[in-house]
Order: sequence, then structure tokens, then C-alpha cells
Amino acid sequence: MSILEVDGLKKIYTTRFGGNRVQALSNVSFLIEEGEYVAVMGESGSGKTTLLNILAALDKPTEGRVRLDGKDLSQIKEKDMAAFRRDNLGFVFQEFNLLDTFTLEDNIYLPLVLAGMDYTEMRKRLMKIAFELGITDILKKYPYEVSGGQKQRAAVARAVITYPRIILADEPTGALDSRATDELLRLFGEINKSGQTIIMVTHSIKAASHAKRVLFIRDGEVYHQLYRGEYTEAQQYQRVSDTLTMLTTGGERK
Amino acid sequence: MNIAFYFKLARTGTKKNGRLYLPYLLTCMGMVAMCYIISFLSVSETLKMMRGGDTMQVFMSMGFGVMCFFSAIFLYYTNSFLMRRRKKEFGLYNILGMGKRNIALLLLCEGLTSAAVSIIGGLFFGILFSKFAELGMLKIMGAGADFSFSVGLIPICKTISLFAVIFALIYLDAVRQTSLTDPIGLLRSESAGEKPPKANWLAALLGAGLLGGAYYMSLTIEDPVAAIFIFFVAVLMVIAATYLLFMAGSVTMCRLLQKNKRYYYRTNHFVSISSMAFRMKRNGAGLASICILCTMVLVMISSTVCLYLGFEDSLRRRYPRNIGVDFFMENVGELSDQSTEKLREIILEVCRDHDESPQDTLNYRAAAFAGFLGNGRVLPVPSDDMDYELFRQAQIYIIPLSDYNRLMGKSETLGDGEAIICSTNEMAYDEAYVSLGQIKLDVVKKADRFIADGDDAMQIIPSFYIFVGDFERVVSDIMAQGEGWDGSYLKWMYGFDLDCQPQKQIEIYKDMVQRLKAESSLVSIESAANERDSFYALYGGLFFLGILLGITFVFAAVLIIYYKQVSEGYEDRSRFDIMRKVGMSRKDIKKSVNSQVLTVFFLPILTAGIHLAFAFPIVRKLLLIFSLTDTVLLVKVTLACYIAFALFYIVIYRLTSYSYFSVVSKTDTSV
Repeated sequence: MSILEVDGLKKIYTTRFGGNRVQALSNVSFLIEEGEYVAVMGESGSGKTTLLNILAALDKPTEGRVRLDGKDLSQIKEKDMAAFRRDNLGFVFQEFNLLDTFTLEDNIYLPLVLAGMDYTEMRKRLMKIAFELGITDILKKYPYEVSGGQKQRAAVARAVITYPRIILADEPTGALDSRATDELLRLFGEINKSGQTIIMVTHSIKAASHAKRVLFIRDGEVYHQLYRGEYTEAQQYQRVSDTLTMLTTGGERK
Repeated sequence: MNIAFYFKLARTGTKKNGRLYLPYLLTCMGMVAMCYIISFLSVSETLKMMRGGDTMQVFMSMGFGVMCFFSAIFLYYTNSFLMRRRKKEFGLYNILGMGKRNIALLLLCEGLTSAAVSIIGGLFFGILFSKFAELGMLKIMGAGADFSFSVGLIPICKTISLFAVIFALIYLDAVRQTSLTDPIGLLRSESAGEKPPKANWLAALLGAGLLGGAYYMSLTIEDPVAAIFIFFVAVLMVIAATYLLFMAGSVTMCRLLQKNKRYYYRTNHFVSISSMAFRMKRNGAGLASICILCTMVLVMISSTVCLYLGFEDSLRRRYPRNIGVDFFMENVGELSDQSTEKLREIILEVCRDHDESPQDTLNYRAAAFAGFLGNGRVLPVPSDDMDYELFRQAQIYIIPLSDYNRLMGKSETLGDGEAIICSTNEMAYDEAYVSLGQIKLDVVKKADRFIADGDDAMQIIPSFYIFVGDFERVVSDIMAQGEGWDGSYLKWMYGFDLDCQPQKQIEIYKDMVQRLKAESSLVSIESAANERDSFYALYGGLFFLGILLGITFVFAAVLIIYYKQVSEGYEDRSRFDIMRKVGMSRKDIKKSVNSQVLTVFFLPILTAGIHLAFAFPIVRKLLLIFSLTDTVLLVKVTLACYIAFALFYIVIYRLTSYSYFSVVSKTDTSV
């Protein structure tokens, strides 16, 4: 069974006084299997972020439904939503979204503390993950004291420490230089290899070509998808690039 | 670029920051108005003509001095807050091609505009309300209302020049701030990576030590004269300690809690403690200022209200009878019944002339001198071997036992060399004897009180009464010793109440002065009714000034609170967002933010309460100087003031927290 089923999503924003209606998503459906690594691509304004917000249950669709492990997100009560998000989803953001009042260590602990976990158990998890992500030395530092790449690794640690069902990443490489980008994509690959499902929204062809599958969104619909299969990274890069060119020059739908 | 352009730019800049500028301008106006009113009252002709008006005007002049100092500090503080918010804007102008010189010019236009608006507006309101203030003051002094309206030219000039100087200083500081930073620094200044708060153990301990010391001083102070000096020292210590504790102590506390992993990593504590550390680092100074302002307002209002309410009591204590006559004699022989009888007859005669008769009379004989008391010894003058640690200055009275028995309704008897003693103003006397030079008297009894004497209420040093059986012999023996002992004065006190209107009492008093002065040059006559107005002026003046300054300080506290709420709101907004994404429910966030805001908000008023409680002994001692001894009244008034102030504070909280939440929750509705 698929881990995530997205079925006929539609999202229309209306301005406060009902004037303009903006259709962000018109009809989006796809399935994600356990252990998949999927990149969602599209131009700005194509509805990527709206889609991610709906998957994260931060926003509600106008029509359609999202099921995680067969459970309809719209059926979850508002008061259980925070706990649900905490237990099942991990987030990585473009702007890192680390709290500047916490050390990196405390930032990573945050979801576990909110879940009420025992300190010794938290500590055990952190040590393992921090080692894997190579941030053991900087745990005591504050976000403003470390580089962007290090911040993003801390954010990844925060996302995976709850052992979530899915990791949702929103432009995770957007604010990183090329070396830090390579490093992060390598980490994502490794995390995925260990069986973690990842959905990543991105602009970057390079980031997308690391994923096992790429979904292209245009005008609020899934326009196309590419499986990486046996292609090398370079070949996949070319394929994604071609598809994007086709998308922007307004090629026919496949 | 022409100057009109700058003014236009200044106007839009001010308008865009309306949420911050409007309260600033209003406060400036309030300050200007208050300065004008106080300065107006200090020269008002109407007040000058009143009895005791000059006393009040002296207080008002002092009040104006306080206002000058306070306005300068306070406006400087609020302006630095505004500048912090606006640096980004100036950075942008700088990048867009405006030089430092242009920005200075822009600031000048802004400064001139806001100075003009606040001075003109403030003077308008000041002139408008000065009449009310004058009427209020006349009412407090119990005089009839006078409805003529006047505008003081001197007060206007004084106020304008004061604020011109203040605004000029503020402007220079603003220019200094903008010229010191580079454009990128200006752009970023608001979001500059904030260093994590460090636990400053030294400062925290120093703060705790100072506070403890100040509290100890207040609790152990005995001498009200020394109290004035110690009061100022203690106030300075408390101010320093409050700043240290709020700024360093609170952060250290948070850090300490963070070290305790089991406590810290709990859902309820985790976010609150770490955010509090930052919050306190940023707001420590502001909160300490609020705390100190609150304490000042409370001490000032409660003590002046208490003085005003306890006025009749104090007046009666100072003037135990409506009319009091003191006759001073050359030698003990003149204190005999025969000679005093003659004087009493004159007094009765004057009363008879006015168809009144003395009631509730109070009369006694005494030998009095100011001396030093300690170790069972009384010294008329300080001697070289006197230990100042042990000896206290006191007013010593030697009074015949017969007068004591008669006044207090007792029937004590004393043998030769025996005495009953009584001390006031909380001076304890535990020796078994008292020796005055060569004369040694055994203390057989300690009376707990003697009839209230006006002298005692007037003096801050304690009185020490020695009641002896053979008055004439003891006194002449003492005076015969010379060496300062002969400096004591002998008096016969005769006081009585009159059952008539104050106006008539004053007439009788004047008549009596004439008749008695003719009889003896060594006589002093006091009439409570005659002194009442100047007493009222003194107490009423303090009361009125207390209220005016209290209002000003409250204004200041409100503004600081408001700015704090708004700036916190901007900072919390992004944090609020992240926490929601990481899996904190909206309810939890609201709860956590709310509890932090509440803590931050109510910490100052709670601390002010503690300060007030510890200031209580010292304030009580100080009020003794004003012959206010009613401790129960002081407790009641202080409590009432605190409760009223706390309610007012809650109202401010409600109003300002609305603007806080409106800032914080803005992202909630956005797409």
C-alpha cells in the first residue's frame, strides 16, 4: 500500500472580501510509496508550496483528499493536528527555521520535548543522528554562530529525530552554496537509503536529479513525471533539464 | 534638494511609523503640559496671595526641577527606542544615495516638526489644565475658588527653553547614532544576530547583595534624622540592584534552570525558559525602569496621601490644645503655684472678655534641655570621652510627680533619689538608674506614656521624661552644677481648648499675645487655628505635588510598557510561525507566549510591591518628622495605593496586549 495518497487536490484562495479568486491547485493526484525519494518541480507560482502546505496539514484543500497510511488528514481534529504533525512528519525549510533563542542541540530536541520524551532517550537519539550528520561538535552553538550548511544539517537532524513517516523539504538547498548543497543532497540520499520517505519541493535541477522520481507541476496540475531508474545522475540532470525547457516553452502535454 | 522636500520626507516617515510615533508625541505633549502646569503653579499670583501659598510654591519649584531631570531622561530613552526601529529606513536612504549630511538634515526636519508639535500642543493643554490644577490646589488648601484665568509668560518661556534643550540633545544623539554606523549596518541593525545571553554571575550576586543591604538598612534604621540620608543611599542601592537583578539576575536564573536537564527538557518549561532568557536580556533595563517608576509612584502617593489624610491627627499632635502658652522662667522659685496662678488669671480673663472659658486644660511645669543619653548617663553637652555609638541625642524633661499624677490620673509616690521615666519616639531605656552629673536617680518605674506634648511631635529626636517627687530641689541641684547644666530652661505650660470657631480662636489668640507679652517677655503662644493654614499649605503642597509627579511617572510607565509590547510583538512573530511548523499546536503557543508575557509584565509590579514592603519602615520613620505616627493609617493607605495601582496596571496590560497580539497574529491570516 502507498504511504501517501493524494487524490484530486484543488485549492482556491479568495481574498478577504471575496473579490479575486486565485486557483493555486486545480487537480493534483499522485501516490507515494514507502521509501521513495520524490522531488516536486515547477516554476514559482505553480503551486508547489501550496501543495507542500497541504501535505503538511498546515493548510486545507478546497477539494480532494490526502491520506497518510490510509488515514484522511481532513478527518484529524484540530487539537490532535499538532501531535499528528510532530509524530508523522519532519520538516526541512529553505530558511532553516531554527529558533534563534535555542542552541542547535535544543532546536533538534524541540519536537521530542514537545512530545514529552524522556531526556536520556532524547540524548541517545541525538548522539546517533548528530554523528551521522557530522554536527556533534557544534551542538552547543547558537544558529547565528554557524554556517548555512551547518544550520541546514541541524534542521535535517530536527526533522529525522522523531523518526517520521515522511520528510517534507521545501527548497532545502535554496539558501546554500554549492558545496553545502552537495553535502546536503548526499545526506538526503543516505537518509533515503536507510528507508526514509522524502518529498522535496525544489527549483534546482541538481537537487531534483538526485531524487528517484521527479514530479513536474504546472498551473496547478501534475504535468509530467520522470523516474530516475538506472540513469546516472548526469543523465537524469539532462532529462530533468529538457523537461523543464519543454515546460517553460509551453510544449504539448505528453 | 530643497528644504520642503525634507519636510515632506519627514512627514511620511513619521506617518508610516504612526504606531510608534503617536504615543511618543502624546508623551512629549504630556511632559510639556505637566512642566508648564508645575511651573505655572510655582509663580501663580492667586496662590501667592493665599496663606501658606509661598510654602507650596517652594515645593512646586522643587517639583519643576524634578520634572526637568525626568523629562530629559525619559524622552531620551523613548527616542532611542524609536531610532532603533527606524535605522533600517535611514540605511535604505543612505544606500539610495542620501549622504550622512542629508540624513542629518532629514532628522533635523523631523526633530523640528515633532518639537514644534509637542511644545505647541503641550502648552495648549498645559494652559487649558493649569486653571484646573490651580483650583484643585486651592481646594486642597481649603480656600475658596477664584475663577480668574491667567497665562504665565515666565512659565511658558521656561518650558519652551527646557524642551528646546532636550530636543536639541535628542537630535544630536540621533545624528551621532546614524553617523556611526555604515549603511549595511543601518539596514540590518534590527535583525542583527543577537548574542545569546550570558549568565553574569558577578552582576547577579552584586545585585542581590545590594538589594539585601538596602533592605537591611531599611529594616534596621532607628534614627529618623539619619533616615533621610540612609533613605537616599538605600534608594540608590535599590535602583542599582533592580537594574542588575532584572538584567543579569534573571538571565542567570534562566541559565541555572537550563542546567537542570530534567527540569528544562519538559514541554512546559523548554520554550518558556529559553525565550525568557532572551526576553529578559532585551527587556531587563526597560522592566527595571518600570519597576522603579512603579515603586516611586507608590511611595510618593501613599506617603503624601497619608500625610494629607492624617493631617488633623498630626495637627493635634503638634498642637495638643487649641491654644498653648509656654512661660519661660528665670529660676525654680518662679514655678511655684503662687506665681503661675497670676499668669493663669490673665489667661482666664482674656477668655472671659470673649465670653469663652478654657476647656480640657493641660498644664505642667518642666525643666528641659537637649542632652545626650546613654549608659545610664545624661550629658548636657557632648564630652570628649563620649561614645557616639552608645549615646543618643534626646530632649530631656524633668517634671514634678504631682503634675504627672494629675495629668495621667495616677497616684504614684516617690522617695528621695527616686524617679519614674518615660521615653518617646521608640527610644528604649533599660538602665536601672539615671545620673545627671553628680545627681543619681533610681528608676523605680517606666511609664509607657506621658501626655502628648507639641514639642515631641515637632522634634525628631526622642523625648526623655524624668518625673521626680521633690522637683524644686532636684532641679536646683542639677542647675547648680554649672558646666552646661545651667543652660536648661524652666517652663510652665498651659494649654486649653476653646469651644468656638477658628476665626474667634484667632482673635482670642491675638488678644492674648498682646496681654501676655506686656506681662512677660519670656512667653510663647501658639494657636492651632492660626497655624492651620500654613500646615495645610505644607501638607497639601506635598500631596498635590505627589499627585502631579505620580501622574507623570505613571504616564512614563505606560509608554515604556506599550513600546515593549509592540517591539516584542515584532520579534515574536517569526518565532510563533516556526513553532507551529515544528509541531506545536496553536493553543500551546498562545499559552506559552501568554505566560511569558504575563511574567514579564507582572514581574515589575510584584517587585515594586516587595520594594514597597521593605521601604515601609523607612517611610514610616520619615513621616514621624511630619508628626505622623498613625502606622495603621499608613499601612491602609499604602495597601490601597498598591491595589489601585495594580488594577490600573492590569487595565494597561489589557489595552497594550491587544496591540501585541495584533502584531503577533498577523501571519496567521496571511496565505
